[in-house]
Amino acid sequence: MSEVILEINNLKKYFPITKGLMKKEVGEVKAVDGVSLFIKEGETLGIVGESGCGKSTLGRTLLRLYEPTEGDVIFRGVDVLNASTDEMKKLRREMQIVFQDPYSSLNPRMTISRIVGESLIEHGLFKKGKGLEDYVVEVMEKCGLARYHMNRYPHEFSGGQRQRVGVARALALNPSFIVADEPVSALDVSIQSQIINLFNDLQRDLNISFMFISHDLSVVRYISHRVGVMYLGSIVELAEKNALFDNPQHPYTQALLTAIPEPDPRNKRERIILEGDIPSPSNPPSGCKFHTRCRYAQDICSERVPEFRDLGGEHFVACHFAK
Amino acid sequence: MNNLLKVKDLRTYFYTDDGVVKAVDGVEFQVKFGETIGIVGESGCGKSITAMSLIRLIQSPPGKIVSGNIIFDGEDLTQLSDEEIRSIRGNDISMIFQEPMTSLNPVFTSGYQIEEILELHQKLDEDQARKRAIEMIKLIGIPNAERIVDEYPHQLSGGMRQRVMIAMALACQPKMLIADEPTTALDVTIQAQILELMNELKNKMNTSIMLITHDLGVIAEMADHVIVMYSGKVVEDAPIIELFENPRHPYTIGLMASMPSLAKEGQRLETIPGVVPNPLYLPKGCYFHPRCKFATDECKKLQPELREIAPGHKSACFRAEEVTR
Repeated sequence: MSEVILEINNLKKYFPITKGLMKKEVGEVKAVDGVSLFIKEGETLGIVGESGCGKSTLGRTLLRLYEPTEGDVIFRGVDVLNASTDEMKKLRREMQIVFQDPYSSLNPRMTISRIVGESLIEHGLFKKGKGLEDYVVEVMEKCGLARYHMNRYPHEFSGGQRQRVGVARALALNPSFIVADEPVSALDVSIQSQIINLFNDLQRDLNISFMFISHDLSVVRYISHRVGVMYLGSIVELAEKNALFDNPQHPYTQALLTAIPEPDPRNKRERIILEGDIPSPSNPPSGCKFHTRCRYAQDICSERVPEFRDLGGEHFVACHFAK
Repeated sequence: MNNLLKVKDLRTYFYTDDGVVKAVDGVEFQVKFGETIGIVGESGCGKSITAMSLIRLIQSPPGKIVSGNIIFDGEDLTQLSDEEIRSIRGNDISMIFQEPMTSLNPVFTSGYQIEEILELHQKLDEDQARKRAIEMIKLIGIPNAERIVDEYPHQLSGGMRQRVMIAMALACQPKMLIADEPTTALDVTIQAQILELMNELKNKMNTSIMLITHDLGVIAEMADHVIVMYSGKVVEDAPIIELFENPRHPYTIGLMASMPSLAKEGQRLETIPGVVPNPLYLPKGCYFHPRCKFATDECKKLQPELREIAPGHKSACFRAEEVTR
């Protein structure tokens, strides 16, 4: 079995809610509320959940793009959250991110070669010149872009190509771990599949580990080895993907899976329709956060927080009644 | 079943400084009473412009419906005056949009926005309209309707707003509802609620629905009949099961193959190479040929017509009989 390269323990990120001129703190949004997980080398861990569940905050917090409130992040034996500025700079070469929106995440005033090459100069790996140029082209070609794209600006590209630039930028430093935050959500279906294939090729060739964050369950199922489901800042279920999709144990996962419209007109299956909306993360329900919408909820669910436990075979579930 | 709507050779062009964009270019289709018709395609294929053209919501200039007939319930909508089309919009044909926040007016309560339509089209007085608005809100499954009528859009969640939009659209019991990506901005569990609601209401009121989406999954769940569009043209037109089991246009086949949920475990996703052509510089011949793996010399020169290849199944491909999934 391959080595664990990233481990997260009880990670929390609370955003303060402030009010008035003095910015008095009147509450907090518990965006990530006690997440524990690990990622192995060369593996893709999918994180799914609906908007506001904290999946993007999770990805950003573990990279320290947001300073976490509490918890541990261990990357290849290094304590990320207590790393000094110098150590952090080294870590950033190993841990990169691809953002959702290829329109707003690329600087419109920079050419593609500068976008891809900037980090290489910053980290002192290359000096401006022929060597850098050749390397940038090599990275771009890995991502399906050509040499003649180098001196173009982001606005000259389509959404799919921009996302390739975003991937190339992350890839330039030769990282071993990439957080991909909804990288295909803004793209059309036919383009989406091109980018998904790109991720798979990169993993096969370079043995990169991914945390693939998405709200689209069919994409996550296709690309991931293991999948975690988030609800209101917590992971409610995490398992090997086929175990999760074929045998979901948490009531939320079950509802989420039946809610995906299947592209098969003959398959009119029974849907579990959840009532109501997701509660506010500034004031989450007591006990199990899902109990307000759960059809199996009992008294205990509103009183005690269910433990996130292993049902066997690394199938983790946070539900009092899962067996 | 009779046809409620028959669109013939519809062409909507936009006259821009850079040239003419043929956003909708010779589109034809029919919608039967009580039927849900799905329009699928990627961004920029003209699916929304087709819908907007039906109720003449095309801003002119730069847009113009240059030709075609839209026969709705025996009347040609292209021939109506602005006054007449206004009495149809919201009354006989209504529309819900993708982004519920931008299509509701933020300075009026949700109740007021429903009442306004009822007073205008159904000539109800204020009290009657309010009563009916509350009824509508109840019908769409929002609890404590009496409170919600007095709330402003920003006080509602995304799913609630979309429900209010649906209540507004159905307030006058239209014969046809146009839903343009009604669930794209919503989460899957909320999407499931809204789709179920639309189906329920359709059965109750026998409304025809024209559902525009890029999501083949949503189409499979909702539609009876599907039209696939590419670069302003209809490329395939078939009943739902026929389309999914026996697609006969390379674009439809490519779309289905690129869906991760239909891919086999461990199998590489099929892709459609390249991108949608720029509408200002459309390729010669079949618009899809630069991306098509079945393309021949004929496809590069001539434009295929939409033709019937089996009863009720049309495809705009020269090689429709040979191409399969």
